[in-house]
Amino acid sequence: MRKKSIGIPRALLYYYYFPFWLKLFSELNLKTVISDNTSRDLLDQGVKKSLSEICVPIKVIIGHILNLDQKDVDYIFLPRFRSLRKNVVLCPKFLGLPDMVSHSLPSLKAEIIADQIDAKSDDIAQYFNHQKLAKTFNIPKREMKKALNKASSFWQRYRNLLFEGYLIDDFSNIEEIEILEKLISKFENSSKPPSSKKEELKIAEKGEVLDIALIGYVYNVFDQYINMDIINKLKEMGVRVHTFSMAAEEIVEKELSKLRKPMFWEFTNKLYGAAEHYLKNDKIDGLIHLTAFGCGPDSMLGQILEVDAKEYEKTFMTLRIDEQTGESHIMTRIEAFIDLLRLKKEKK
Amino acid sequence: MKNLYLGVDIGSVSINIIAIDEENKLQFKLYTRNSGNPIELVKKGLVKFKNEMNPKDYKIKGVGVTGSGRQLIGYVLGADTVKNEITAHARASTYYHPEAGTIFEIGGQDSKLIIVEDGIAVDFAMNTVCAAGTGSFLDHQAERLGIPIEDFGGLALEAERDVRIAGRCTVFAESDMISKQQYGFTKAEIIKGLSEALVRNYMNNLVRNRVLEGEYIFQGGVAANIGIKAAFEEEIDSEVIVPKHHEVMGAIGIAMLAKRDIKRNNQESSFRGFDLTEEEFETNSFECGDCANNCEVIKVVADGRVIAVTGDRCGKWAASLITDSSTAAALSFNKKADQKPELAESDINKSEDIEVELYKVDLEKEKKVMQELKELEELEEEKLDESDKDEKEDNVYV
Repeated sequence: MRKKSIGIPRALLYYYYFPFWLKLFSELNLKTVISDNTSRDLLDQGVKKSLSEICVPIKVIIGHILNLDQKDVDYIFLPRFRSLRKNVVLCPKFLGLPDMVSHSLPSLKAEIIADQIDAKSDDIAQYFNHQKLAKTFNIPKREMKKALNKASSFWQRYRNLLFEGYLIDDFSNIEEIEILEKLISKFENSSKPPSSKKEELKIAEKGEVLDIALIGYVYNVFDQYINMDIINKLKEMGVRVHTFSMAAEEIVEKELSKLRKPMFWEFTNKLYGAAEHYLKNDKIDGLIHLTAFGCGPDSMLGQILEVDAKEYEKTFMTLRIDEQTGESHIMTRIEAFIDLLRLKKEKK
Repeated sequence: MKNLYLGVDIGSVSINIIAIDEENKLQFKLYTRNSGNPIELVKKGLVKFKNEMNPKDYKIKGVGVTGSGRQLIGYVLGADTVKNEITAHARASTYYHPEAGTIFEIGGQDSKLIIVEDGIAVDFAMNTVCAAGTGSFLDHQAERLGIPIEDFGGLALEAERDVRIAGRCTVFAESDMISKQQYGFTKAEIIKGLSEALVRNYMNNLVRNRVLEGEYIFQGGVAANIGIKAAFEEEIDSEVIVPKHHEVMGAIGIAMLAKRDIKRNNQESSFRGFDLTEEEFETNSFECGDCANNCEVIKVVADGRVIAVTGDRCGKWAASLITDSSTAAALSFNKKADQKPELAESDINKSEDIEVELYKVDLEKEKKVMQELKELEELEEEKLDESDKDEKEDNVYV
């Protein structure tokens, strides 16, 4: 019998959990397929099959699911992320994602595996979060638990590197677990600091190096197509980019504990904690809030950050992304923002 | 002989060309409506410049281009500085009005707010999603009412009564206008209502919770509209200054920036000269089908020679122009496409590594916390496994 294949859409929380999933599936010896990078074709397909008012990250994942279906995978791995902390959920679109997909895409050939993720922390490696997966592939509980543990500690190593200042971008193009393992070991043993912490040579001519915190969800900040490659654009302009994934959990927790009441959405809280940390940091020159048009949770977060940025006298800008293909609007805003920060620095 | 610096602003509604001398004095000024062919209009503008100025009197030392069409015209002219319009506007107005605190700029397609402290811009905002509250909105309504846009502002001042019109959205504004007209409000009153709606919209979208400080400068094409100026003054309860050359401030600013760049880097201008007015320019685009992005690649051709290629996300076509060798282009493309992070790290920097302590990560503590969490998790898991197993399975849907 042919070995059944399982596809992972390269969208939404893929950027957060992909080392975990790659390791898990390789331990379970499953044939894994990852959808292509987001592209115009892929997004076009997603847009056609989604509700028109929904935010662009959801349109992107619909495109990725269609892409996997065209690759003839047998199963699509699409967990229903419900909670990563007691009494805090994810955005409702994550909660309803598997239903939304099964209703928007009735002619999908592949079967969707939608385990519900109910974890108490970002570590999602509990067996009960993977029962459907185990059942589908007839994996004994013992074996599943062993694989989950291995995947979890592998993911933890990756996370520690992020906390040290590596960007998710430094890893996220890798699809093969062997290469990822090698790269992680290499970074762990490297004496060189990650790029977010070192002076870049090639940008010296463009003036002083700037430190900008780019606050946004992983699927907006690290999807190079949808954000028009903002990280590399910033790097080219002589900016060290800092993202929420670099702020360690305790930093986020500390900031969150100061809120009278945290928000309902897990990742919005994480962004808030990291953003507050950056707002208070003298080394950070400015903050960019990268948000998808129509994002509900961000309508709260954006307002809070705008008010707080004023309080800490940090330059702040909101950058909205949607389905545009023209780059001029994003370039104009980034350029003006950087000019402003440079002028401010020169003046000092 | 004078040294002149050209500033060109390619906006969505107008195209402006100016020239300043070493002392930033305006020597030439041209404001034209953008009818959709920027290259031809710029060529015409340059011909006008050539005819008006005595060639023995001046030398072009630098060229700057700004506005939403800056990239293309930057290639055509061989500009020294190509920069966004926010920086350009801020530069010009802080030069003319060093005491400025707030700059309102309303152009054809977007509106901007720039906050200035001690002569430098410290904050800005730009309309994000919609063009209600910009020049195009007014243009559209003027056309509806059958009034030339030039008379639009003056008419608002003749209004006797106040009427409220929704400003959030062009469609709502229109339906409001029609119904108010049917109630018997005059055109002047409707226009005043519209002007107030535009300013309200601007305040809601851009100013938000910012505290504005004087002097207040109002520039951009819409600043010619005295009705809007009056509405602004009423809203902020203070005088609003419209600079003399309000409609070409972006062009003046970019010329100043070009001058600064030329002086700072001590370089010759890369301006392609006035001969370019006799060249035939052509832009053609094609869809590159080499990957799933299907980029719309735009080629700028001058007298049969390709001078610029733009619009490709991977940079392959743009690179092909520089190296003029298709193999090199293909190489650079492949490199980018297969970029393995392993390579990415390959000695990008050999500079002195400066330790910046941004993240305090106590790995030991982190580990301890994780360990504790894990133990807790395992305990709970065991509990779950034993007692709640059935319930748990019931709980999982789809």
